[in-house]
Amino acid sequence: MTFHQFAYRNVIRNIRVYAAYFMASFFSVFVFFIYSMLMFHPEIEDGFLGNVPIIWMVVAEIILVVFSWFFIFYSMKAFLEARAKEFAILLHLGMERRQLSRLVFLETIIIGSISIILGIVFGYAFSKFFFMIVREILMLEDLPLYLSWEPFLLTIAVYFSAFILISLFSVHFSPERKVIDLLNRYKTIQIDVDFTKGKAILGIVLILGGYVLALLTTRSTMIIFSVFIPFLIILGTYLFFTDTTQYFVDRIKNRRFIYWKKSRMLPMAEQSFVLKNNGKMFFVMTIVTTLAFLSIGLLATLSSYTSQYDKLNPLGLIYKGHIDNPKENEHISSLVSELEEKELSYQLTRFTVLKQTSSFTKFEVEVFKESDINNLLVSYGYPLVRLARGEAMFIPYSEDSIKELSKKRVETVLLENDVEITIDQVYPELIFPSSIVSLNSIIISDVDFRRLVKPYSSFPHEEPGYHLFAFDIPQWVEAEGVGVALQQEVSEESLKEEYKLPYYYENAGLNYSYILSTYSLFTLLGLLVAAVFLLAAGSFIYFKLHTSLEAEKKKFDVLKRMGISNHELKSLVTKLLFPQFFLPWGVALCHSLFAFFALQNILKNFANVSIVKEVVFAFGFLILIEIIYYNLIRWRYIAHVRD
Amino acid sequence: MSVLHVQDVTKVYEGKVTNRALNQLSFEVDKGEFLAVMGPSGSGKSTLLNLISTIDRPTSGEIIFNEMKPQNLNSTELAYFRRRELGFVFQDFNLLPTLTVEENVVLPLTLDQKPISVMEERLGVLAERLDLTTILHKRPNEISGGQAQRVAIARALIHEPAIILADEPTGNLDSNNTREVLELLSNINRERQATIVMVTHDPIAASYCDRVLFIKDGEFFNEIHRDDRRQTFFQRILNVLSLLGGGQVGDLSSIRLP
Repeated sequence: MTFHQFAYRNVIRNIRVYAAYFMASFFSVFVFFIYSMLMFHPEIEDGFLGNVPIIWMVVAEIILVVFSWFFIFYSMKAFLEARAKEFAILLHLGMERRQLSRLVFLETIIIGSISIILGIVFGYAFSKFFFMIVREILMLEDLPLYLSWEPFLLTIAVYFSAFILISLFSVHFSPERKVIDLLNRYKTIQIDVDFTKGKAILGIVLILGGYVLALLTTRSTMIIFSVFIPFLIILGTYLFFTDTTQYFVDRIKNRRFIYWKKSRMLPMAEQSFVLKNNGKMFFVMTIVTTLAFLSIGLLATLSSYTSQYDKLNPLGLIYKGHIDNPKENEHISSLVSELEEKELSYQLTRFTVLKQTSSFTKFEVEVFKESDINNLLVSYGYPLVRLARGEAMFIPYSEDSIKELSKKRVETVLLENDVEITIDQVYPELIFPSSIVSLNSIIISDVDFRRLVKPYSSFPHEEPGYHLFAFDIPQWVEAEGVGVALQQEVSEESLKEEYKLPYYYENAGLNYSYILSTYSLFTLLGLLVAAVFLLAAGSFIYFKLHTSLEAEKKKFDVLKRMGISNHELKSLVTKLLFPQFFLPWGVALCHSLFAFFALQNILKNFANVSIVKEVVFAFGFLILIEIIYYNLIRWRYIAHVRD
Repeated sequence: MSVLHVQDVTKVYEGKVTNRALNQLSFEVDKGEFLAVMGPSGSGKSTLLNLISTIDRPTSGEIIFNEMKPQNLNSTELAYFRRRELGFVFQDFNLLPTLTVEENVVLPLTLDQKPISVMEERLGVLAERLDLTTILHKRPNEISGGQAQRVAIARALIHEPAIILADEPTGNLDSNNTREVLELLSNINRERQATIVMVTHDPIAASYCDRVLFIKDGEFFNEIHRDDRRQTFFQRILNVLSLLGGGQVGDLSSIRLP
């Protein structure tokens, strides 16, 4: 048997020992490869998304690489730790440390190669499926499977170098320990509890402070808080796991009537030991899990924003211009001809909107004519408006405003022309997107409208009214190519300090396609990164348990001899594992919930979207996954310690 | 009156190589007796102890505790039986490293969910008797081997079991601690009328007992009772051991290694 054969047989015959490590490596390669397939996709490279998303994809890919390196390094360390006794025997038999490094190196290369090959094979097999999902999300015509050397080369290069470097690194930089210590590992466990009361309380205070700030976040304080809150939370979480948890367990332990009752003693004592030794890992896990939660929650939010987009933007194209706009005819006819060229059916409604001064508010009010509005409503298929003389109706500017305005009743006089009206209704649907109508827009009857002869006079420099051209296009998404030049002009102007163009143009389809593709891409990136994060967070615990399994087994042996029934053993394992799993996850969940409170506040002022439903759904799904994962691990763990 | 009755017990380990570890072994242990079981490596001592501990079942034969047959109990009842009727002392102490000394001692009572007043009362008595009061709040890695074994003995006594099973209790101790632990065991045996079954390699340890049972290759070999002087008892044990080893007394030194 040569040395190479020894390494090879070590791996092949002990495949069960290596399984956990192998699975971790395999999954990293798998995700990375699929992702590279997308990144190098010719259609995506051609830039249907523009340059910005490509940069984000590269950033996400780098995060993925860094994290999976860290992940492999960690699992490698745990794996070596679990095999310390085996190595001690080899060293005892006279193996040199150099040879041991070579053994580990060879084994890592074998496992690494297998996981790279299988990861790529499975990755390639699944990439068509993945592309189908991407195609649906990005609403592309087609995203075919392709074969090119780039993703293969990238994956192999990244992971092969990772395996080589990590195996060299983890053997050479592991502290040299005496053979005797490795052989008697169980006896050399150090258990001292160290925490300070001050730090313990500080941890709680910092976290609570972060939460309170999150609740107080508004749009104006967003930027300062978004620097401050993560700082508070991260530091607080660190102290929480290194000191606070130990402090609490210690407080309980000092009360015998709680601590010694109902066989609580053993799990509690174990817990303080587990918390002390794994505080830093729990901290990393909590932060990683929080990131995963946040990215998933954010995605749910964005998807809700896109699904509500249709409702918030009922019109396909909108052109708004001053009454004396010189380019009006030119622009409208070009838009119409573009629409006809594309064979899109449309309904054009022309509005003349007049500004008047309301005696009630002493400010301007934008007045729409009943018959103009009804023209548009007919093409929407919405119920029509009927107003008698002296009656008026609010035009809602957002979903929320419908409710608010419906309670309002205003009697006012349009001062310039002395028209008395009573506004006591609101139209129950959004007619215009919020960027077009002012907050104070009303519809009045045609009779009253004809009486508005004198123009708006409160501010002579302001335009007394405007023309509005609303194109209702049933297939509005397909109109994204209409008036691109105009949109360009408008968006350039709106970046300037003062908007001086006499016209304004909005293409819902075009905006939608921008928003959708950007958000979908974020979705994709976020989901992949979150999947890797979640998997990693779970695996950290798994490896930790795996490493200490030998010692645990011995402990349970003693307990079994002393008389512990199967049922009690199970409940003991539950009490041992439950906090390890759900404490970091619970804290992460709590962090994310407060983060979403803040986000909800910001979005409310911004996009008028409620995210409660999506967040609840996303978190429910995550909790379900965690429970399944926990039960899986618990089941394996009980099976291990029982025999 | 016998507390433990081992009757025609045979244990066969099936597997690729069938191994008969115990063969038709019978003996009795009376209440308040301190019995040592001796025999060379592989003679079936550990198997016997596992069978008495009820964590293994005999292939044939019966083990009867106070007229009760644990073979007939299910696994939960067996666990309850062990925690109430049996006390264990191990060679490598097996104290749980995460618990303090006093917590280790009361562990059997917490498993059985006894009231705290009972725990504290018994703990006080035992700590006094076994000289543990100064180390009650230390952890197992902060105390010496002799102290650790005293803690283990306290743990074996606290639930007042019918029988204490000791597996090489002096195997990891130096000669001073060995003497201390053995004297402690024999004193407890006398004072509390505790029944002790001790498995050992060590003729010195065995010489503290009332009776020594020798087994070889899983079968009963010989049995000798204690007389007035420990010295002569020790000598007689050595004589039997030399017979056991096929006349080569020199074997003993290799046997004695833990």
